[in-house]
Amino acid sequence: MTRTRGIHGWLSALAALALWEIVAQIYPNSFVIAGPLDVLRHMAENTGLLSRAVTATLHNAAWGFLWGNLGAIILSCTVILLPRSERTISLLALTVFCLPLVATGPILRVLYGPGNGPQIALAALAVYYTTYLALVVGLRAIPQNWSDLTRIYGRGRMTELFYIRARASLPYLIAGLQIAAPAAILGAMIGEFTGADRGLGVLTLRAMRSLDVDATWALASLAATVSILVYGIIGWIGRRLVAHPASILMTPPPVQGRENWSRSLGKAVALIALVLVLWHSVMDIFDLNRFFAKRPLDIWRYLTTNDEARSTLRTALTETSALTVPGYLAGLGLGAGLAILLTLVPALSATVLPAAIALRSVPIITTAPLIVLALGRGAAGTIIIVAVMIFFPTLIACLQGLRQTPGQIIDMFDSYAAGRLRLMRWARIPAMLPAFFASARMAIPAAFLAVTTTEWLATGKGIGNLMALTATTSNYNMLWSAIVVVTAAATLAYLVVERIERAILRVYASEQVQG
Amino acid sequence: MRCSPMSGAAVELNGVSKVFGTGDAKVDAVAPLDLMLKAGQTTALVGPSGCGKSTVLRMIAGLEDPTTGTVQIGTETPKALARRGAVSMAFQDPSLLPWRTLHSNIALGLKLARKPSNPDQVNALIDLVGLSGFGDRRPAELSGGMRQRAAIARCLISEPELVLLDEPFGAVDAITRNRLNLELPPLWRDRGTTAVLVTHSVQEAVLLSDRILVLSPRPAAVVADITVDQTTIPVPNTPDFQRVCDDVSDALGAVAA
Repeated sequence: MTRTRGIHGWLSALAALALWEIVAQIYPNSFVIAGPLDVLRHMAENTGLLSRAVTATLHNAAWGFLWGNLGAIILSCTVILLPRSERTISLLALTVFCLPLVATGPILRVLYGPGNGPQIALAALAVYYTTYLALVVGLRAIPQNWSDLTRIYGRGRMTELFYIRARASLPYLIAGLQIAAPAAILGAMIGEFTGADRGLGVLTLRAMRSLDVDATWALASLAATVSILVYGIIGWIGRRLVAHPASILMTPPPVQGRENWSRSLGKAVALIALVLVLWHSVMDIFDLNRFFAKRPLDIWRYLTTNDEARSTLRTALTETSALTVPGYLAGLGLGAGLAILLTLVPALSATVLPAAIALRSVPIITTAPLIVLALGRGAAGTIIIVAVMIFFPTLIACLQGLRQTPGQIIDMFDSYAAGRLRLMRWARIPAMLPAFFASARMAIPAAFLAVTTTEWLATGKGIGNLMALTATTSNYNMLWSAIVVVTAAATLAYLVVERIERAILRVYASEQVQG
Repeated sequence: MRCSPMSGAAVELNGVSKVFGTGDAKVDAVAPLDLMLKAGQTTALVGPSGCGKSTVLRMIAGLEDPTTGTVQIGTETPKALARRGAVSMAFQDPSLLPWRTLHSNIALGLKLARKPSNPDQVNALIDLVGLSGFGDRRPAELSGGMRQRAAIARCLISEPELVLLDEPFGAVDAITRNRLNLELPPLWRDRGTTAVLVTHSVQEAVLLSDRILVLSPRPAAVVADITVDQTTIPVPNTPDFQRVCDDVSDALGAVAA
């Protein structure tokens, strides 16, 4: 079975390569596409340059991976040891994850200077949240009896964490690390976009500016291949370490009754205050220069006294939202739709699935320059980049979710000869919902990242472009204002999706627990 | 292994009750209970499903705090006893850690009880529960009955003063259950350890216990208190054995009616 799937995977990959070459041959000198042969030729002619760039990017990604995951492990263990801290830690972690890398990159560049600091910091920022979520789920996922076993001997949470939870969560940690590895490469590359002197990101930027199609395709292929390899290697190590890999759905924590709106509002205000205090204190503690390290009050003063700034920000945010929302919805819809289709017609999945699993591990943004080359700098290109960025993780998560349908329920439908469509509508889709919503939440920061990066690198519109422009003109008041607006929008969107998720899952919870 | 005989601790419940939730979601799980369980005796709690037997057990273990009343074990609170590593519990599910070997799972009982590791003691107990030669196997390689033997061994390795058994043989087949019922209880009984057993099986309760408390449906209250003379009764299928089983069944039938 595995071998058949492997052969299908190889055949699909070969077919894709052949198709790619044929299309490239049909459109020679199109300034849009370079075929696999051109890509290989470019790689052969620039082996030294490319291998130095890959080494630099991997070096930074590896350090970011290490620091980011270390942070995730510390945060998730804190949440387990001090359960009351969970809501605050989770929301702070989410807020930091929603920071637009496009803007934090230039600021980190000013802070760190020309070294590797920004690349490593952005790689760490890109990985910590997914590992944190996966690990919290894993650390919690132990049977009640195992927890009682330590409590019966009068031992506390630390003993439970050490003897039981840490080892039990290993499959989840590995699954989290697997998702984190390509994200670290993505973070490092975005860090390189901000003015590093070597790395795949630097070469990508150079190739795009000189409209070097062969180089752009070669770099995108290289980044994708390296990401798939790293993803595969961590998966391989994981399979050696744990017998049963975890399928992570990252469902929200159980709701303790219904929370009223005034209480939620109170908590939100407290959290915002905490973020502002932390922001201010960190800058004061490290004595960061007020010229580029703006404090919350500076931004408040800037925005309340400057009508033009507010209007510029509003226009940019409107432009960005007009691309983010359709791309986000299209990506989610296509991902869930294809998952449903593949479940209804299993014969298709043998061909589509290996490619989807491979492409899930590609930081799609590294291929964004190709989509811009193909579709131009208009709205369609950006929307497609967002959709593609979200599509693969959603597809894989939804396929996993559709498989969660309890076997007895499937048997019951079969006993009535209900047919695949009814089974899908009444049993499989409800079982898929936790996975769907988990990816819908995770897709929000990804969507903002895709749009802002594309605006920055290619389209010259929206808040991504505004951030890039203000970074180069040292208009740090506007840059920080843009960071606040994008972070707030992404966090708010995340919390709205989480609320919808809870309302819907409450209805379907009984079906879920039977799984 | 023949461990030094230990004296068990008496268990005293004074007006102990448990209420879960508040408002519309409020559930009265256990009505105020006054009980005195003698040191060194095995007491069985039987009653209809969901009546609160396990909640009583968990309050004795210190895993749940009573809403009212106090639990005292000897002269200590359950949590103080737990901190000394003097109480242990076996569950319906053996709850062995799948990544540890059988030996290491049993040794975990010593570690958690803050007692020095003693591989010889672990090996001796493995022999005593009939698992000789399986010490380096992992739980997935053992049968259900073997896992349950290992769980009981983990429970006893720390030589506790109080053993709590929450349907420990409920998940194994009838033949294995009968064998475990005959072979394992002497391990704690001979040491004079106090034991509290929750079970659905009337025969098991009569076979293992010195005293059987029949609980009413929720909120749990004691409706029958039956003494079993273990010097004469514990031979299955004898008229005396059957008579006590009938008494327990009648009490259960009365609360179910």
